[in-house]
Amino acid sequence: MSGIWERARASRTLRGRDSFGSRDITSNGDRSSRTVRLGRVQPQAPSNRTIYCNDREANLPVRYKGNSISTTKYNVLTFLPKGLFEQFRRVANLYFLMISILSTTPISPVHPITNVVPLSLVLLVSLIKEAFEDWKRFQNDKSINNAPVDVLQDQKWETIPWKKLQVGDLVRVKQDGFFPADLLFLASSNPDGVCYIETANLDGETNLKIRKALERTWDYFLPEKAAEFKGEIQCEQPNNSLYTFTGNLIIENQTLPLSPNQILLRGCSLRNTEYIVGTVLFTGHETKVMMNSMNVPSKRSTLERKLDKLILALFGCLFFMCLIGAIGSGVFINRKYYYLGLSGDVEDQFNPNNRFVVTILTMFTLITLYSTIIPISLYVSIEMIKFIQCTQFINKDLNMYHIESGTPALARTSNLNEELGQVEYIFSDKTGTLTRNMMEFFKCSIGGEIYGNGVTEIERGNLERKGLKLDGANGSATAIREKGFNFDDARLMRGAWRNETNPEFCKEFFRCLAICHTVLPEGEESLEKIVYQAASPDEAALVTAAKNFGFFFYRRTPTTVIVRESHVDKMGKIQDVAYEILNVLEFNSTRKRQSVVCRYPNGRLVLYCKGADTVIYERLAYGNEDIKRITREHLEQFGSAGLRTLCLAYRELSSELYEKWNEKFILAKSSLREREKKLDEVAELIEKELVLIGCTAIEDKLQEGVPSCIETLSRAGIKIWVLTGDKMETAINIAYACNLINNDMKQFFISSDTDAVREVEDKGDPVEISRFMRDLVKKDLERCLEEAQHFFHTVTGPKLALVIDGKCLMYALDPNLRVNLLKLSLNCASVVCCRVSPLQKAQVTSLVKKGARKITLSIGDGANDVSMIQAAHVGVGISGLEGMQAVMASDFAIAQFRFLTDLLLVHGRWSYLRLCKVITYFFYKNLTFTLTQFWFTFQTGFSGQRFYDDWFQSLYNVIFTALPVIIVGLFDKDVSASLSKQNPELYKEGIRNMFFKWRVVAVWAFFSFYQSLVFYYFTAAASHNGQNSSGKTFGLWDVSTMAFTCVVVTVNLRLLMACNSITKWHSLSISGSILAWFLFIFIYSAVMTPYDRQENVYFVIYVLMSTFYFYLTLLHIPVVALLGDFIYLGLQRWFAPYDYQIIQEIHRNDLEDNRSSALLEIGNHLTQNEARSYAIAQLPRETSKHTGFAFDSPGYESFFASQQGVFVPQKPWDVARRASMRQQPRTHRS
Amino acid sequence: MNNVAAGSSSGTGDASPARRNSKRPKYSKFTQQELPACKPILTPQWVISVFTLVGIIFIPIGVASLLASNDVVEIVDRYDSACVPGNMSNDKVAYIQNDAISKNCQRTIKVTKDMDQPIYVYYQLDNFYQNHRRYVKSRNDAQLRDKSKANETSGCDPEKTTSNGVPIVPCGLIAWSLFNDTYNFTRGNQPLTVNKTGISWKSDRDHKFGDDVFPKNFQNGTLKGGGTLDAEKPLSQQEDLIVWMRTAALPTFRKLYGKIEVDLKENDTITVTLENNYNTYSFSGKKKLVLSTTSWLGGKNDFLGIAYLTVGGLCFFLATAFTVVYLVKPRKLGDPSYLSWNRNIAGH
Repeated sequence: MSGIWERARASRTLRGRDSFGSRDITSNGDRSSRTVRLGRVQPQAPSNRTIYCNDREANLPVRYKGNSISTTKYNVLTFLPKGLFEQFRRVANLYFLMISILSTTPISPVHPITNVVPLSLVLLVSLIKEAFEDWKRFQNDKSINNAPVDVLQDQKWETIPWKKLQVGDLVRVKQDGFFPADLLFLASSNPDGVCYIETANLDGETNLKIRKALERTWDYFLPEKAAEFKGEIQCEQPNNSLYTFTGNLIIENQTLPLSPNQILLRGCSLRNTEYIVGTVLFTGHETKVMMNSMNVPSKRSTLERKLDKLILALFGCLFFMCLIGAIGSGVFINRKYYYLGLSGDVEDQFNPNNRFVVTILTMFTLITLYSTIIPISLYVSIEMIKFIQCTQFINKDLNMYHIESGTPALARTSNLNEELGQVEYIFSDKTGTLTRNMMEFFKCSIGGEIYGNGVTEIERGNLERKGLKLDGANGSATAIREKGFNFDDARLMRGAWRNETNPEFCKEFFRCLAICHTVLPEGEESLEKIVYQAASPDEAALVTAAKNFGFFFYRRTPTTVIVRESHVDKMGKIQDVAYEILNVLEFNSTRKRQSVVCRYPNGRLVLYCKGADTVIYERLAYGNEDIKRITREHLEQFGSAGLRTLCLAYRELSSELYEKWNEKFILAKSSLREREKKLDEVAELIEKELVLIGCTAIEDKLQEGVPSCIETLSRAGIKIWVLTGDKMETAINIAYACNLINNDMKQFFISSDTDAVREVEDKGDPVEISRFMRDLVKKDLERCLEEAQHFFHTVTGPKLALVIDGKCLMYALDPNLRVNLLKLSLNCASVVCCRVSPLQKAQVTSLVKKGARKITLSIGDGANDVSMIQAAHVGVGISGLEGMQAVMASDFAIAQFRFLTDLLLVHGRWSYLRLCKVITYFFYKNLTFTLTQFWFTFQTGFSGQRFYDDWFQSLYNVIFTALPVIIVGLFDKDVSASLSKQNPELYKEGIRNMFFKWRVVAVWAFFSFYQSLVFYYFTAAASHNGQNSSGKTFGLWDVSTMAFTCVVVTVNLRLLMACNSITKWHSLSISGSILAWFLFIFIYSAVMTPYDRQENVYFVIYVLMSTFYFYLTLLHIPVVALLGDFIYLGLQRWFAPYDYQIIQEIHRNDLEDNRSSALLEIGNHLTQNEARSYAIAQLPRETSKHTGFAFDSPGYESFFASQQGVFVPQKPWDVARRASMRQQPRTHRS
Repeated sequence: MNNVAAGSSSGTGDASPARRNSKRPKYSKFTQQELPACKPILTPQWVISVFTLVGIIFIPIGVASLLASNDVVEIVDRYDSACVPGNMSNDKVAYIQNDAISKNCQRTIKVTKDMDQPIYVYYQLDNFYQNHRRYVKSRNDAQLRDKSKANETSGCDPEKTTSNGVPIVPCGLIAWSLFNDTYNFTRGNQPLTVNKTGISWKSDRDHKFGDDVFPKNFQNGTLKGGGTLDAEKPLSQQEDLIVWMRTAALPTFRKLYGKIEVDLKENDTITVTLENNYNTYSFSGKKKLVLSTTSWLGGKNDFLGIAYLTVGGLCFFLATAFTVVYLVKPRKLGDPSYLSWNRNIAGH
């Protein structure tokens, strides 16, 4: 375990994120999902846990936790204190709390409500959201806790709720039921003590897994028998490692070792088994799945961090304003203003005898007065906007819905939407991300002979680049295609292999494929109908291949594998052979190989092994050098064709040798500590002196639309790096195939695969190797950098590409060389890193993230991408075929790589644009408002008199200007989605952060300065004299109400000017806000509320409205205020237009483009529901423009026509409607 | 393969289709972000027409307001220093605080233009911070409105109560510092009556100052801030107080004193006999007497007219300027060569 700890710590410090439990990766270079632990690995408690089965009294003293779970954050009592505490951890809220407290003291110029109302509204919204989410969690918990389970009581199965379950209880779980706790599997209704489970809830893998009970416990099946079961389990303390378990079952003085194979984890469900009996090991929060459910550490977007700086600047501004005012007040205060009553006993705030105290106190006064400069509702608004963007737009985008797998996009965090609009570097995994991870057996090499005539896409591309054209003929008549098998070579099919030069090799090859695996057959045992459940698609492909070669593996029992072999002894003969499986040495990422020891019916003992070329070659027996050499050539050939290779080997074992080894194996298997390590060591003893049979090549097809997606992204100024564990040739070829590299590029290679390196490596001195490598990498880097320098400053020069392998990368990431690596790679359009470990993936990612301070995105699908996904600013998981680890660690999950275009260019760009607009607008409206107040301060003897009524000020942010900006944050769009994708270059505006630069903020600030001057001085200047023909004059509150009206109107109109598109929601919310103000002031100044205020504004609006001053000012001031912005916007668009503005202009006359019509054109992809919803969407509505006479409405016409039996030609929507109504026979997926 | 499960027929059956299809997001214009929208583009034509439009609207309004303002005849007479006897001009504060010295003062005003009645009499104070925080809050509205709340003097510091603790009505600094200069006008030998009713906003009289609230203990202290009130008249009839208590927004303000309901002819000479009681000398504030007629817009104030004219003119100018620029160096709308990625290549 300690190794895991160290690695976990390393990767955590690497990411610079502290103790947040993040999913750490422990595997070192391969894609197995078994070695990944979700969540933080718990240190093992020194003691073991002892459980007395079926004996509640005996377990009582230990006080194990109950089985009820609670995932809620709060309960009724803690909700308010804890929820409020959470809220006040935000600086803005805390600030307003302090201001509110301050405003209850006499130094405050404003009534406490001014600050309390907005704060409480903001808190209320946040708390309601929290409460709602927690309530949902609570409901969920409740239904889980009360789910029924059968537990053994008095020799009978009694149904009790899950929460009453205790450690040691015997339970019965029926088919398709979920396991209520972590169970030890005792007995099953299946005769051989196995059961099948689905772990989709745990890791998303939908393939069935097999679990096998200890033979000793098979009998405890019926309640009467089970009641007799008294055992003692010693096992590890609860931990969160999903795939390990060590423990012993002591039953009748017999100690039986337990392995993960007997453990049924909570959250999994039982399949294909009538029912099982198990005993409870870990309950409730101690179950492995619960110990894994940790909150994903929240990432903050770069924009938000910049926002913090803006807020800080506002604080600076606030301080500065207060300082000016405070000094002014100290200077102003004087006894000569006798009407202020300053003689005699005066409170400190106004005491002319102590001007310093006056200054200090006025400072606080002004802080409360100007508190509106900090936009209190900003964070809550942004949160709402982002939340809706995620749940409504990203998650429901039909363009990102993958029809084949039925997966929509999923935004797992809502913090990072706008980050998607600024991504400059994409780090992509290869397998499963760029490629489909649909493995097809494509070629093989047996005994030095290549079989398989297929040509991969990559080879085709290669040839085309060289100018050769392949003839279209593809595949002979004998070619068989099915899932996992795309092999065409008559020499191996239908027993034809018997005539090859090495039929024995062929036979071993096929047997190895048919026997050495962990695949589970499902369904009918016939060639056509069988379905293979495998941990990885490669395995299934290999077994499928064996099937097609005539070695049909169709049944697995716990100890045997049964293969129906054809043409073995003589042509046409079919026989079933049962191979006894003695040991399985499982695959893991350190071993990179898998072996099976089996006994033939005739007693022959063979070890079959398959694995990566490097590990197999190390373990080959001496001899057969020709085959080794030729096979190696073939391996390289396959690799360069983009194929995935595995080497196959076998070893004949003598029974003495085997028995001796098996003892060690059993010992290792039952050890309690470090079992995995010991097993690896034991395996090492027998996996040697292997005989090479050949190798397989499996094609990993590119995903649909990957090349064009990559092209689009690179036009958008995004640089794509491929980080893969594959060989260099494979990686380069994939890079070529998906347009990452082409021959026009200047390519740099830094590779350790040179003769010089091999020579040094052969000497085997590690110190020497590392010294040599370092020098080599350093030299290479310098050479490349020097060459690249030529191209840096030319615009027209070729694009650069860098290919580097993992070994070199290890040295290049060294602190000394890192700078050069960064310099070189940042100037490359694409970078390919091959043979990299998961840790290196993360290192490269954070190199760019930290070193270049650019926004990075990592995309991957497998467990090996988890670290990279977490290291990047934005992690995207492919919710595909290979488990869910990547998705669980990601911020966004999409089904296909090509959806990145939509995610980045459409959603990301819009989010960025909108958020920038929202933030700058918030900044503007609050600054404007506060500055008018500031100008007033100068004319009140710096006394801190408020200009506006308390309620005006408190409702300004939360009512009069709140909704429109949220609407803009949701709906504003500069150009349509399809134009965004057609003009990916628009994305560069986000990368350059064009909309949230200090320059942009400064422009807003300038105009809010200008506008505030207009608001204050114009209203004041116009209010001087008698204001109507009766000569009466205005007071303070008349002027301020006037000014406030102008502010509300102008600020709302300014937003309208900033909109790129105006929907009815825009107009509604903006006019609604202005109307809300008038409504408010009409009511507010008409009623007399007895206690909370002086009647400052009583009747004010009616007085105002009785004068022409009101109307003339109301027309004049917004126009003058907005004139500056208008001129600026006009000039900016005229002389320095943004790119999006040009695109808008180009397409200004286009009709509203309908993305859904494009969806319909793809036609055959539409499902029934889709077709119907589309057809319904297309139905004419009230808004449709019928130009004909009044009855020209389809419904009317057809209704009467059918009544009178008149034939009416069918309209398209009728067809659609009927088609969708027709009863469809339900067919099942096979 | 998998577009299978739309098994059930009618809309109500939607719940039953297989799980696989339920994941498919439903189409709506909202979630697909395809809400119909108008997309205004600020083209040069738009800019020019908006400027022209603003110009067209603003200039007439400006002209009208300016004309209205010009119709108003306004006579301003500053009297604060002139009314101080020559021997006391060095120590004006001593003069104003000395009760022994008569505060009467005579001013002659020449009417420059015909003035139609009603002629409004204002006093204008300068450097007087009626909007100071300590001053603004020093009042109690409940007390002014409601007889039963006569004892409520909260907020009235430091003029809450008399020295022996009896509440003052009206309390507070604002009332305490009530302006108390008086003006008497004569034309030739004929006195001009000043009508002092209806000088405050009706809503103030009706709703803010009670007709059953009478001044009590007002200006009884040792230090008198300003005017006194007739204890027999309810507050709602004390219009000078009502006007005074509608505190001004700016430190320079005008307040209505009364109305002269006689036409004045050009070259009439009017003699003002005033009592120069109010102390503005402490803080060197000016005092002015203003006679003014009104137009539909109110008193003489060129600000709005000039502002409208300026903005209108500016808009016309901008419209012309933009048109010229547009004609000289037109920018083709939607010219792809303006796109940054095209510009870069073209530039090199």
